[in-house]
Amino acid sequence: MTKILFQGIIMIMIFFVGWLALSKVDWITIFKIEQINKNTEEKLGDLFWDLFNKPDNEIHDRNIKTVVDSLLTRICESNSLDQTKIKLHIVKNDEINAFALPDNHLVLFSSLIIDCENEEELCGVLCHELAHIELDHVMKKLVKEIGLSVLLTMATGNSSGEIIKEAARILSSTAYDRKLERAADMKAIDFLMNANINPEPFASFLYRLSEGTSEIESHLAWISTHPDSKERAEYIIEYCRNKSKNFKPVVTIESWERLKEDLEKI
Amino acid sequence: MIQINNIEYSPEEYEAEKASNSYLMSLIGAIAGLPLPIINLIATLFFYISNKKGTYFVRWHCTQALLSQFSLLVINSIGFWWFIMILFGPKSISNDFIAYVILVLFLNLTDLIATIYSAVETRKGLHVHWWFYGDLTSLICKP
Repeated sequence: MTKILFQGIIMIMIFFVGWLALSKVDWITIFKIEQINKNTEEKLGDLFWDLFNKPDNEIHDRNIKTVVDSLLTRICESNSLDQTKIKLHIVKNDEINAFALPDNHLVLFSSLIIDCENEEELCGVLCHELAHIELDHVMKKLVKEIGLSVLLTMATGNSSGEIIKEAARILSSTAYDRKLERAADMKAIDFLMNANINPEPFASFLYRLSEGTSEIESHLAWISTHPDSKERAEYIIEYCRNKSKNFKPVVTIESWERLKEDLEKI
Repeated sequence: MIQINNIEYSPEEYEAEKASNSYLMSLIGAIAGLPLPIINLIATLFFYISNKKGTYFVRWHCTQALLSQFSLLVINSIGFWWFIMILFGPKSISNDFIAYVILVLFLNLTDLIATIYSAVETRKGLHVHWWFYGDLTSLICKP
């Protein structure tokens, strides 16, 4: 019996020592895992963005871009996020929607910006989508919804247009897991607090959209992809209750109003 | 790690065949059950139960094959669920995970070689005794 116990302990020790020794090797660099991931994401990101990037769809108006970029700059600088890697696209669309695509593409529909009552609400949406990007939710959602093998086929350019369209639809029009949504909300609030932006308007935005009137409900894509908004608004308020800070505006009220006017004209 | 023990008992042809098959069952189970690690254990367990009332030689080898599959089940299952957590959960690929996968692959390969060797030798009527598992089997399986 003692011999067997001794042999068992030796075996377990050999296993753990072997694992420990092997884990000291930088396999990630040897197998170029990060490079492979980056290339796959780049290809998928371009593939999906091409679907939304129809002629005259993306807004390049300087004034509009400047205001939204200012918001993004404040968020990124305050949270040590690399703004150069975020590919922000403002797209002319009647749907109230915003979503993240692989390779750090962040797509904002013009109607969502118009629907925001103030800059804090828009910052909340931006932070929420940035949180999905930072927490690597986009690729995880794709893998879960359409499968790793299909994704790899798409990245190598061997899949049909229908599959790509379906994957893009999943990213732009279906919800993430409840857990992932909550994690993104919490991260978004941290981003907002670090940037000295009041997160309460973001909760108000969610609450307002969840009570959307019937005539605009058909356009509320962002809320259909983010269910349980009332509950989310409540836990956002609860989470930031004891975190009050000196909030500072990012752009002037005039700039914000001009942004909305410019967007309405387009 | 593996030794052939001389035993006074000389197994019959059918006993050697059944004992050898107990090792083959885990191989067939592994081929059929990939990537789910439980399948080869179930296959070996099924064979063990069906030979529970067999001769000592058959029972002993069925038990040794089964015990070796238990250890593999544990390490393979951890690897499997770790991989699922990376795909769908909050974890990401790390050096620890890759090191674990390499180790698991090595252990599975070692087990495969040992199993094939044991199946061949047992078929000849020889008593193949694995390090640790052999002693554990002798403790559990009484004549």
